[in-house]
Amino acid sequence: MKVILKAALAALWLAVAPAQAAAPVAKIEAMLAKPQQLCGRFDQSKQLAGMKKPLASNGRFCVVAGKGVLWRTLQPFPNTLRLTRDEIVHFQGERVAMRLDAKTEPVVKMINSVLFSLLAGDLAQLDTLFEVDGSIDGNTWQVALKARQPALAKAIGGIRLDGGAFVKNISISEASGDRTSIVFSAIETGPAAITAQEAALF
Amino acid sequence: MTPLKHQGRLLAIAWAMVVALLLAHNAYLWGVKRIAPETDILALLPVQERDPVLQASFTHMVDSAQQRLVVLVGAPDWNDARRAADAYSAVLARHAGLFAATPLDEQTQNDWLALFQQHRLTLLTAPQEAQLRKEAPAFWRDSALSQLYSPFGGPKLGAWQDDPFGLFGGWVQERAQETPVRPRDGHLFVADGERQYVLLPMTLTVPAFSLGAQETVLPLLAQAQAMARQAVPGVEIISAGVILHAAAASSQAAGEMSTIGLGSLAGIILLTWLTFRSVKPISLILLSIGIGCLGALSVCWLLFGRLHLMTLVFGASLIGVAQDYGIYFLCNRLGADPALSSRALLLRLLPGLCLTLLAAVIGYMGLALTPFPGLRHMAVFSALGLVFAWLTVVFWFPMLVQGGTLRSGALVRRYGAVRMHWPQARANRATLLCVLAFAVLAGAGMARLGVNDDIRLLQTPPAHLIRDQLKLGKLLDAPTPVQFYLVRGDSAEVVLQREEALKRRLQTLIEQRHISGVQAMSNWVPSLQTQQARRALLDASVLKPGGALDLLAQSVDEGPEWAGKVRAQLAQAGAPLLIDDFLKVRASEPWRHLWLGEVQGGYASIVALRGMQYAAIPLLAQAGGGMPGVQWVDKVAEISSVLGRYRIYMGAVVLGAYLVVFGLLMPRYGRRTWRVLAPTALASLAALALLGYLGQPLQLFHVLALMLLLGVGVDYGIFMQEHPQQRNHTPWLAVGLSATNTLLSFGLLALSHTAALQAFGLTMLIGTALVWLLSPCFVAPEQPDAADAAGVA
Repeated sequence: MKVILKAALAALWLAVAPAQAAAPVAKIEAMLAKPQQLCGRFDQSKQLAGMKKPLASNGRFCVVAGKGVLWRTLQPFPNTLRLTRDEIVHFQGERVAMRLDAKTEPVVKMINSVLFSLLAGDLAQLDTLFEVDGSIDGNTWQVALKARQPALAKAIGGIRLDGGAFVKNISISEASGDRTSIVFSAIETGPAAITAQEAALF
Repeated sequence: MTPLKHQGRLLAIAWAMVVALLLAHNAYLWGVKRIAPETDILALLPVQERDPVLQASFTHMVDSAQQRLVVLVGAPDWNDARRAADAYSAVLARHAGLFAATPLDEQTQNDWLALFQQHRLTLLTAPQEAQLRKEAPAFWRDSALSQLYSPFGGPKLGAWQDDPFGLFGGWVQERAQETPVRPRDGHLFVADGERQYVLLPMTLTVPAFSLGAQETVLPLLAQAQAMARQAVPGVEIISAGVILHAAAASSQAAGEMSTIGLGSLAGIILLTWLTFRSVKPISLILLSIGIGCLGALSVCWLLFGRLHLMTLVFGASLIGVAQDYGIYFLCNRLGADPALSSRALLLRLLPGLCLTLLAAVIGYMGLALTPFPGLRHMAVFSALGLVFAWLTVVFWFPMLVQGGTLRSGALVRRYGAVRMHWPQARANRATLLCVLAFAVLAGAGMARLGVNDDIRLLQTPPAHLIRDQLKLGKLLDAPTPVQFYLVRGDSAEVVLQREEALKRRLQTLIEQRHISGVQAMSNWVPSLQTQQARRALLDASVLKPGGALDLLAQSVDEGPEWAGKVRAQLAQAGAPLLIDDFLKVRASEPWRHLWLGEVQGGYASIVALRGMQYAAIPLLAQAGGGMPGVQWVDKVAEISSVLGRYRIYMGAVVLGAYLVVFGLLMPRYGRRTWRVLAPTALASLAALALLGYLGQPLQLFHVLALMLLLGVGVDYGIFMQEHPQQRNHTPWLAVGLSATNTLLSFGLLALSHTAALQAFGLTMLIGTALVWLLSPCFVAPEQPDAADAAGVA
């Protein structure tokens, strides 16, 4: 909720911040493939403040342009998060554990836009909310994101992305000391990337 | 110079000095002090004489609502709505002094949760509480793990371990559900199926009921609307606020005041000219009315220090009565021997004039007996106006009008001749039949007469304001400010506990959709009892050794020391949240009006209802029954019941006034006294019967009109009884002139869109017409009369 509230404040900036990307960012954008459909495997490792061992989980994800994001954790606890333009739905097994409707919670639109941009590497879009600092090394690039909005910066801390034609790694450092890093692999693109089961969930 | 003449001259000069003072005072009031009449409708209602805590709760609810102005700017597309709202705000921003806009302050949002976070172990929602009692520790472990492994794991506040089971997050989400309004792109947002709206809440810094404020604010709002529509054609703009209603009421009253006042004046001028064929009587009558109005204004201001616009509206009808004295004198002058001096004529008329003034003042004073401050002002204003007009007639008219200066026209002769053929009530068969027919018809009419004291009948705001209000209430899911529960107790803790007990009872009504929710302080600050119980519940189910927390520690491969650390950290947030702490932070601002705090040695609070269905009022009234310290408050019903009580009470006053006036007239008219009162009494009964046939339910203002009708009708009775001869046209002419004028002034009140004035006017219209027509019927059979014997032909 706090994240949501703060993110809502951050949305303030969507209206006022200049939407032009810095020079390396434009080049990185050119390197990204940005396919219509993008699916693959993710391995997530979460290091929580005060805990000795990181918590590992993995699953599959899909990013479909114009539709949204499907995030299916398979191990160790199956659950699915579906982010579309109008809602965020969290399934625990078959059960809907949570549903946020953009009609009543407008911040849903913003969260979804940020996540979609993160996974698809839409830096121009991210630039509206974050200071984007990028560098290029041959075929790979790195980007550090710092929230323009102090409140959002306080909640999220910093985000780092790197990749080539696709985003390969995302690491998020929260102000509380919790850290999440996600590695993407086995990336497929095109209409065949989505399994029938996944398509049914969209 | 005779002593009589000398004395008369002295009095006239003294009166001239009084009038000069009045003129100076009025010039000072309007010119220098620039007084403006009040327009606050609530000022017309009685001061609650009973319960100070109840009164305080109204003040709390009303004060928090009165200065508020809420505008919703909506379009199907959010960006359009934003552009239109920005155009709207830009207009108002140029007049920042008028509005205290409530800015979307980052700091507020940031600090919003800080206080609750320090007490998160004692804040649970009711469903969570039930779940904690029901579910095994494994359930909580699993839900914590699911949150933990999910990447963007739903709503989360701060670090995961600060709220591993998501309980505090759930509580905050429940609080957020108390309003559908959300921050979005730096605006406040709310939506329905069709449109997305920008919410622009404003607080007026100028009093909503001041005419000056209305005159500045309303054009600005219109201009802002125009700009918004120019920016985005077809944008929907919904506005609500007390100031809009107040402005609509004042412009209506101001418009009606000029219509009624001018209409009445025009009527009088025309009639006087037709009667006397001269401008002099007109100017004399206007003079008496003018001095009456100025005097009433001056003295009322000195007495009350304020004047209500409704007083002036009612006062406008004063013209209809204040003329009687001048007309009576002038008609008699017209009919009297030109050789008779005006002063001698006046002395002869004086007993009748005194009685008419007394009867009218008694009629108006009946209004002063009501507890309605507005009506008291009207009563004093009218009575004073009559006294001043009367004194002007008595002191000045004999000096200004000499015998032989007035002529009458052909219309007067024709009208006078009518009286010769007017039916007379005599002890015969025809009269008996008439009485029987009247009794049957009036009885049947009165049997149909219902009563309705609903206060809402008295206020009829324009339809578009009601429409906007309803739509806004629906969109914002706002609570009604006039129906709520008042909860009392000896301490803040007892009040909160009683709120919680009440909320448990209301839960069924929420489930049955009679209300959509409840706003209460205990939603934010539960009673200590509840907070301790919840804390104990968490200790017993989640935090105890071997509970959900320990299970969770095992699942994430952590030892007991990790669990110990989390437990210790949570325990730090286990101190109960206190009401005083909550009231200090800005997060409590929207809810402070619910907390009355310490009043009259006890504590009190308001439990407000969101999305109330009007049909559910009886259920809601019942729901609070039998609960100690809980009282259902319905201000609409409250005021309506006050109106009802005073309708009955005023009915008794009317009957009492008939007795008093009867006693007053007895010494002069002896066995003929009933003849003076009979036309008025019959006209009143007939008016009631007609209201019954018309299907108008009886309310206080009809009864008040009957009171005034007594004052006016008795005048006519007295005029007629003073000169009972059928061939004497003078009283008949005076009654005719004065009744026509009264009909004109009060008849126009019946056209008023203010329901109270309309009811008043209609009763006066029917009553006055009937008194006029009936008054010649009850004149005593030919008898030598004192005044006529002395030579007034």
